[in-house]
Amino acid sequence: MIDILDGNACAAWGARRAKVQCVPVFPITPTTEIIETIAAWKADGKFPGEFVVLESEHSAASACLGASMTGARTFSATSSQGLLLMHEMLPIISGCRTPMVLTTVSRCLSAPIGLWPDHNDTLAMRDAGWIMLICETNQEVLDSVIMAYRISENPKILLPVIVNMDGFVHSYTRTEVDVPEQKLVDKFLSHPELEVRLDVKKPMTLGIPAMGLDYMRYRQQLHKAMLDSFDVVDNVQKAWAKVTGRKYEFLDEYKTKDAKAVIVMIGANSTIARSAVDKMRKKGKKVGLLRIRLFRPFPEKQLRKALEKIDNIAVIDQNICPGMGGILYPEVKMALSGCKNVVCNYIQGLGGNFVSEDDYVDILNDVLKAKADDRKWQM
Amino acid sequence: MAKKIQEKMISIRLHGRGGQGVKKAAQILARAAYLAGYFTQDFALYGAERRGAPVTSFVRLDKKPIGTRGYVWNPDFIIVLDDTLELSCHLKGRKKTTKELINTARDLKLDVEYCKVDATGVAVQVIGRNIPNIALLGAFVKIFKEIDMDHLAKAVEIELGKKHPEAVKKNLQAAEICYDKVVC
Repeated sequence: MIDILDGNACAAWGARRAKVQCVPVFPITPTTEIIETIAAWKADGKFPGEFVVLESEHSAASACLGASMTGARTFSATSSQGLLLMHEMLPIISGCRTPMVLTTVSRCLSAPIGLWPDHNDTLAMRDAGWIMLICETNQEVLDSVIMAYRISENPKILLPVIVNMDGFVHSYTRTEVDVPEQKLVDKFLSHPELEVRLDVKKPMTLGIPAMGLDYMRYRQQLHKAMLDSFDVVDNVQKAWAKVTGRKYEFLDEYKTKDAKAVIVMIGANSTIARSAVDKMRKKGKKVGLLRIRLFRPFPEKQLRKALEKIDNIAVIDQNICPGMGGILYPEVKMALSGCKNVVCNYIQGLGGNFVSEDDYVDILNDVLKAKADDRKWQM
Repeated sequence: MAKKIQEKMISIRLHGRGGQGVKKAAQILARAAYLAGYFTQDFALYGAERRGAPVTSFVRLDKKPIGTRGYVWNPDFIIVLDDTLELSCHLKGRKKTTKELINTARDLKLDVEYCKVDATGVAVQVIGRNIPNIALLGAFVKIFKEIDMDHLAKAVEIELGKKHPEAVKKNLQAAEICYDKVVC
């Protein structure tokens, strides 16, 4: 069924098609429509799952932990300060190895108060032990929420997944979207029972204390599960492509094969950068775009393979780690450790500061001329 | 399907105030264009979430999937829902070929030629409320030519009919009046 939907509606449809059983939430702009959409379905009897509005995002995340520990398929959504308030719970959810899906709709952090997108909120969760899929299109959000449950609930993985989109330029932007039939999703997505779960008939303690070496073993297992999830994510994406024809990769490469210069970035603005690449290609400039879709676990090897022969690389960070620089930049540099490329960092689009095709054309022209690594701001 | 589909992407920017249906107008316009055979993108941008605050929305149409997003800097059409906005600011980014449609009952002194209709007056009279968005879209259909009133009617039914079924008929009536009344 083709409909015209925004990113928020797509996340809600993903949850509905996945037959989510519990949705603990606390609303925040620009996520609210996900919550409103599910609430309206609930009121109309179209959403059989539990829908619970808590008194804060922290409580919502806590309820997510409890719900998913019982084996209920759990979904939530938040943004910005709301995500930071959830943050305290996120390593607990991953540490307890409870599967769930959280849609984060990127919005810049306060202060000053802003409503428009940058990635500081979601990227601040990079060490929380969650698999992170960062989307570019509405269709990708819907598809990713469904795929995320199959990844998350895989008995070998049992890790929560963040599915990210940008606020406004993505969450409020409507385009044609194929909402897959329920039958198709039912066939794609079984619901494996958790081996260890909260059950009033079989009382047990979950989330135990573990000191020193014991603690370290838990963290090592978590890290291993993260690394093991590469294959699972890959297989799930392939399985989804088989039933829908929509192919997703860890890295979304566009005209990179013969490129001299490539933009590396995440998120919805990649669409604008892609147009800039087309514009430059028409003028004979060999440029390309690489969008990182799977951010955690970090596809270091694949990234190196894709970029090692590219002379000049522009890493765009729509975020700022004050006192360090862009967050993506050192990760890309790490993947290219020992390579001889020139890798420049551009801080751009903070607080949703508008960017245009020409901004990416400027960056590509700038990086094509670069002789050494550099770190810049595009205001 | 529309009689002919434009070769290049068409972009439309709408300016108005919170409560006038600026976002909804973009959604209805995109839906109408979708029904006419276009790929579409619509999007609204606002800061303070209150009535009366400036709101901007955007529509992009193309015969292929839309390859960009975000702010429309150089629109092919500008639709202004409120003539008390700072127009010198909101009419920025015009191309030579850009067409403007303004909801006003006044003779605005602008350095561009524009089409106008008193959509607010029509809306107040026909609908009984100061929500001029759909009325103004009626005028836009006449200027735009790529969609017709049937597309608009169906789009209004889809986008408005679920939440406000009672408002559909009167809004379309207002749109018809503005279609006839618009002057360029």
